[in-house]
Amino acid sequence: MCETCGCGTETHDHDGHTHTHHGLTHTHDHPNKKVVNLNMDILSENNRLAERNRGYFEGKKVLALNLVSSPGSGKTTILEKTIGKMIATRKIFVVEGDQQTARDADRIEKSGAPAIQINTGSGCHLDAKMVHQALLKMEVENNAILFIENVGNLVCPAMFDLGESKRVVVISVTEGDDKPLKYPYMFQTSNLCIINKTDLLPYVDFNVETAMGYARQLNPNLEFILLSATTGDGMDAWINWLKRQ
Amino acid sequence: MHELSLATSLINLIEREAAKSGFMAVLEVQIEVGDLSGVEADAFGSALELLVSDTILSGAEITILRTPGHGKCNTCDREFLMTTRTDTCPGCKAFPSEISGGEEFRVVSMVAE
Repeated sequence: MCETCGCGTETHDHDGHTHTHHGLTHTHDHPNKKVVNLNMDILSENNRLAERNRGYFEGKKVLALNLVSSPGSGKTTILEKTIGKMIATRKIFVVEGDQQTARDADRIEKSGAPAIQINTGSGCHLDAKMVHQALLKMEVENNAILFIENVGNLVCPAMFDLGESKRVVVISVTEGDDKPLKYPYMFQTSNLCIINKTDLLPYVDFNVETAMGYARQLNPNLEFILLSATTGDGMDAWINWLKRQ
Repeated sequence: MHELSLATSLINLIEREAAKSGFMAVLEVQIEVGDLSGVEADAFGSALELLVSDTILSGAEITILRTPGHGKCNTCDREFLMTTRTDTCPGCKAFPSEISGGEEFRVVSMVAE
């Protein structure tokens, strides 16, 4: 319905009575109306803010990694162990995204790195503006690593560029090995795939080669690291990958 | 359910563009949603309906144009319609194919006054 004159409905009511306009039709013209061709990506504002974040990271030589996964894949545990191994030689900062609670940021801070928690409330992903606002509250030092732990969700975060240097998708062997096929967008937009909880491989029906094969079909350039954050197996490969970036 | 925040992004974009040109009301908006864009067009439409009241888009006629997915097989060069990002080539059954259309998620035009 037109806000100005109420056109667009046959009749409408005021205070419970229905009426028609006297002497005016509902099909009158809007003489000042104009067609505006926009041709704009609906995510253009997010993409613009992401590029600002990216410029900030590049200017400070910060390695910013966007960690995405299903809930419960072990992202926070990987980060805790990574901080434990690297904090003596490299500055590390963490942005934690969750719908509710500051539990993950508390865990990260206990392991020795400054962390900012973002609660997205009903939101299912982080966006570039949230990361920008977190960066205003936390001074990330030059040459540091910034881990951005996204909300556990393999669908929504795929569409939102945060300005990260690289995107890391984490899956665990307690999930299905066909996960890449089910969530192709995420695997197509990631640079590294971590397969976590490898210590549980003897007990679950997860074929590493199958999972890697599906993911490679989707994204031939995807790199892989197999590790167990719990036992520490494979963590050195991950630390070396971080140092190479 | 990222369609809610995508709908918010669209409303913010339209409000910014309308303000730039001094428009007071938006009467029509045309949006293009590709089948391979990662956006559920129906959910996006429902999210917009929920959110437009008390915005400049309140009462506007919103048209969502669906663009089919297009791909070109990396193996045999055959061009074909894709419904998902993981479709195999209907000719040689190979995968992957290069996506050549259907990833659009944009606002095409608006009618405002």
